[in-house]
Order: sequence, then structure tokens, then C-alpha cells
Amino acid sequence: MREMIRAVNVRKTFTLSRRQMAIEKTHSNKKVALDGLTFTAYEGQIYGLLGPNGAGKTTMLRILATLIKADSGEAYVAGHEVSREAEKVRASIGFLTSELKLEDFFTPAYLFTFFGNLHGLSEDVIQKRRRELFEKFGIDRFAEVKVGDLSTGMKQKVSLVISIIHDPQVIVFDEPTNGLDVLTAKVVTDFLAELREQGKSIIISTHIFSLVEKLCERVGVIIGGKMVKEGTLEEIRGGQTLEDAFFEIYKETAGEQ
Amino acid sequence: MKNILTIVRKEFARFFKDKRLVIGTLILPGLLIFVLYSLLGSAFYEGDKISTVKVVNPSAVFAPIFEQASADSENSSGLKFETVEDNSQESVDALTAQLKAGEFQVLIVFPENFDEEIAVGKPAQERPEITVRYNSADTQSLSAYSAVTSLFDQTEDALSGLFNINYTQSGDVSTAQEATASYYSMLLPFLILTFLYSACMGIAPESIAGEKERGTIATLLVTPIKRSELVIGKIASLSVLSALSAIGSFIGTFLSMPKLMGGSIGDMFAAYSAGAYVALFAVMLSAVLLIVSLISILSAFAKSVKEATTFAVPVMILVMLLGLSSMMFGTVSALPVFFIPIYNCVQVMAQIFSMQFSPLCLLVTLASNAVYIVLLVLLLTKMFKSERVMFNK
Ligand SMILES: Nc1ncnc2c1ncn2[C@@H]1O[C@H](COP(=O)(O)OP(=O)(O)OP(=O)(O)O)[C@@H](O)[C@H]1O
Ligand SMILES: [Mg+2]
Repeated sequence: MREMIRAVNVRKTFTLSRRQMAIEKTHSNKKVALDGLTFTAYEGQIYGLLGPNGAGKTTMLRILATLIKADSGEAYVAGHEVSREAEKVRASIGFLTSELKLEDFFTPAYLFTFFGNLHGLSEDVIQKRRRELFEKFGIDRFAEVKVGDLSTGMKQKVSLVISIIHDPQVIVFDEPTNGLDVLTAKVVTDFLAELREQGKSIIISTHIFSLVEKLCERVGVIIGGKMVKEGTLEEIRGGQTLEDAFFEIYKETAGEQ
Repeated sequence: MKNILTIVRKEFARFFKDKRLVIGTLILPGLLIFVLYSLLGSAFYEGDKISTVKVVNPSAVFAPIFEQASADSENSSGLKFETVEDNSQESVDALTAQLKAGEFQVLIVFPENFDEEIAVGKPAQERPEITVRYNSADTQSLSAYSAVTSLFDQTEDALSGLFNINYTQSGDVSTAQEATASYYSMLLPFLILTFLYSACMGIAPESIAGEKERGTIATLLVTPIKRSELVIGKIASLSVLSALSAIGSFIGTFLSMPKLMGGSIGDMFAAYSAGAYVALFAVMLSAVLLIVSLISILSAFAKSVKEATTFAVPVMILVMLLGLSSMMFGTVSALPVFFIPIYNCVQVMAQIFSMQFSPLCLLVTLASNAVYIVLLVLLLTKMFKSERVMFNK
């Protein structure tokens, strides 16, 4: 199996603004988000980063997407190191998180072409991708409606198709079903499975056990910025439900600290 | 390069497809300025009142012109000329006192033998001098004065170089009023700079701080576009849009100037050479690029459009003070001055408007501004690469 994503001892500390310090009720302006995270995800699989709120999942994915830089450690996506070869990484991944917004003023059709151009795709390719993806997600009817006038679910779908416009090898997806109704969530999870069939490598972050059980081959349990357990879904479960296994792991970790 | 164009096209689409934005930034400011200045102008001029001009030692050469103007007084000139027979110094002094008291508006004193002297034609220093007195503290007198000036301007063309005119204020200040050009040389750089700055302020924060605030910048940052391309695309498109918006304000100003200033604004703009206009355009372009880059950097630091505007206001005051400096302290020609950003634009524009611009100063201004713009673009690119700046919460 080929490695597609690898993080080695990744550390990230945020410097908090005064406002953030007040919100977090802390006197230190440093917040350790990732504390030496190491994991590996393989080609043609879905990797699940499982962890509670504030564990550092989003932070790790943003580092993979080159939006932010790790303080130390290394991370590779499709063979490229994220901080040294950021542009190559950006060209080979599709990153999706609720943090990435589309401009309300434009229509899905306009934005699709715009981002297609930024990815250097030809007009033909853009049209072909647009037909496929708009149909699959039922965006056709809304292609000429301003994003600002779309429902939350439809906005998410438009963001999704735009993030994979360039048919990337690696897909990084933060909380894929967050904020979606069950129908839309199913469309998305089915689509992720379909991408895997096509040989894509996918990493998702979530705190939803059922999603991991349904989709993921490999799981990394991350708590307090540390990888506390990593392995195949079966290895992590150890014969129990994922939920039970998680709480067991959680208790052990809490006991150590 | 292709990516830069993609960004520019998107910024333009964002702007031009939004009617509110187009009206609010391109049309409304110019329209407001026009309406405001025109109202101010008509309040200032009390146009329908007929002003009395007293003429001592009437000249036969000017008699038909004055008669014509008096005949027109109902409709266009608004001037009524009256001849005063007594040409003694006491009489002129008494008339000056009456002028000050507002009993009439303009006093014209021709030298004795004026007609004979201009018939001979004399070298510049010895030409007969016409004295025109008015009261600068009285708006009606001011407007009558400017109407008289334009009458003389027309006649001077016909009798070119035969006489001199000595315009004298008769109010509290009694220095000789300079020609219209120097007046504009002081006022216009300030106006232009103010328009440019407020145009940039209406456009740049929305596109940079706004994109940060709404989270759309991150969507751009995960695409393979180079940060430098993104920055250059933004600066280029924002500069064009700001320039367009500033042009709207200029048009409004120019159209209302005749009403505000009275007199012959058309002549005044025709007086500048094509070269002066090219130079003016170049200076304004470099000023726009400089200001847009500056406001873009402030916007990149800001977390929201509101904050960006707050950051930009103190800079605006500074820029306006620099603009005012030429009005208050006049122009300077020491070369080092032209290395100071913004201030150099003010000074070169003042030079251009007063018809005494030096190509060297222009060159230094454009070259040093180009360097500053490149430095600011590099800084902004660096900021776009920095997560501390792009994602500060
Ligand atoms: N920009 C930032 N500035 C300061 N602190 C941050 C920043 N981003 C994240 N953090 C902190 O880092 C820690 C990890 O955050 P992160 O968003 O990665 O967690 P997460 O696992 O995605 O949690 P959630 O399930 O709530 O999304 C948290 O304590 C968070 O407060
Ligand atoms: Mg998260």
C-alpha cells in the first residue's frame, strides 16, 4: 500500500489574542493544539481522525491543506512536504471545511468556472466536470442562483463540488456531515465511498462514531493534540463497538494525565 | 499571469454586476459633489442680482464692450457699468470707501490717456495699467469681479500685450490676487487626493478585509494560485475601480466648478498642454496605486471591513493634511521633497496646475512611488502568506 498522507511529530501552538484569552479563561497566551502528532494514511482508503472537541483535528487538516504551518515536524501529502512544496500540495488536494466560504454574490456556475480557471483547467474540462458534479448533487436547478440565496445544505454541496473541481488525488474533509440533514449527509457519505472506489485517498475528521464505522479503513484517535491510538478500524475496536472502545481509550488517556 | 487576469475579472464582475455598488461608488459621490457645489455656488453668487461697476477715466476702446455687457446685464453678465467723471485721487479714495461699504461692487480705474498709450504700443514694463478693485470679503463683489476678469480676458486676447491689469482687493486684505491658475494649483491637488483616497477607501477594504471577514479568502488560499498573483490581481483591479470612482467625483467637481468659482473654467482647462494632462494622469495613477496598496495592507491587518475603515481614517487625515500643505505653504521645488510618497504627488500636481512643472520632479515622483508600490506589494504578499495575518481572530 502506498502512503498518501503522512504526519511526523507535528506540533502546533497558537498564540492567543487578548480576546481569545478572555474567552478561554486562561492567563497564558499559548495554546498547544498539536503535541507531536504522527500518523499515516494510505492510498485508496478513507482515514478517520476521531476526537473530541478541541482535540486538534481541524488544526491538523488545515496544516495538510497548507492554510497554516506546523511549528515543527513534517507532513507529506502525495509525496510533497506541505510547507516546502505548498503549491504542489494545493494542486493535489481538495480541502473542505465549513471555514471555507463562497462569495454570496456569485452563482454556483460562475464560481465553478472561476475556481476551475485558478486550477488551470481548460474550458472543456470545466464544462465536463460541471455537468457531472452539478447533476450528481442536484445543483443544476440552482446553477444561476446567487450563493447567498441558497439553503445551507445546497451551499455545502456547492462548496463540495468546487473543492474537488480539479479531481484531486487526495481529499481532506473536516466534519463531512456537519450541519447536513440525513438525506444530504447520505449523498455526501455515498460520494466519499464512490471516490474511494475510484482510488482516491481521503482523510476526514469527525466525532461521530457511526460515520467512522461506516466509512473508514483506518482510524486515528486524537485527544489533546496527541495520537493516542492508531490502526485499522478493527484494531481500534478490538471486538467492541467503536463507541465503547473510544471511551476505554479516553479513560486510559485521562488516567495517564 | 493568467491567474492575475482571473482575479481581476472576478473583482470586476463583483463590482459591476452589483448595481448598488456601481451607483454608490461611481455615480453617487460625483452627483453629490455636483449638487452640493452647485448649491454652494448659487448661494455664493446670488446670480440674479445686478452688480454695479464704476469706471473712472472710461476708455473708448472698452466703451462698446462695457455697453454690450450692461445691455446683457438682465440675462448673462449681471454687470451694469457706470462712468465716473471725477478722476481726482480724492474721488477714487471716496469710491474705494463706498466699495468697501458695499454700495457698489467693482471699481475700474483706467490711467489717463489710456487709449493713446495703447495705440502707440509699449514694452511690458511701461504698458498702461488698469486698476480693478473689488471687495474680497463681499461675495457679490467677488462674483462681479470674476465676471469683469473674464470680460478683460476676452478683450486682452484681441488687444494682446497692449496693457497690464492690476487687480486689487479692497477688503481687509489688499495684496494683488494671483491669476486663476495659481488658485487651482492650490485647491485641486487637495481635492484630487481627497477624492482618490475616499474612492480607494470605498473599495479596497471590502475586497480584502471583507473577504477575510466572510471567510472567502481561505477558499482562494487553498487553490494553487500564487499569493503574489492574488495580491497583484487585487491591487490592479482595485486601483482601476478606485480610479473610476475618483473620475466620477472629478466629473462632478468639474461640472460644478463654473458655478462655484464663477468665470471661465473652460478657458482654464484649455490652457493646459497635452503634456500637462499626460503628466497629471501619470501622477494620479501612481497616487491611486500607492493609496490602494496602503489601504489594502491596512485591510489585510483588519479583521473586518469596519476595522479596516477605522484603520484607514487616520491615514486619510494625514493624506488630506499633505494635500492641504500646498494650499497653506505653497509649492516647494527642492528635489528631496519628491521622494516623499503622497506629498510628492501633491507637489507635482500643484506644479502642473500652476503651469510650471519640472519633468525632473515628475520623474523622481513616479520612480520613487513605483519603488514604494513594489515594496508595498511585496509586503502584502508576505502578509497573505502569513497565517497570523490571514486568520487573526
Ligand atoms: N486560530 C486559533 N487561535 C487560537 N487557538 C486556536 C486556533 N485554532 C484552534 N485553536 C485551539 O486549538 C485547539 C484545537 O482546535 P481544533 O479546532 O483543531 O480542534 P478540533 O479537534 O477540530 O475540535 P472541534 O471538534 O471542536 O472542531 C483548541 O483548543 C482551539 O481552541
Ligand atoms: Mg474542528
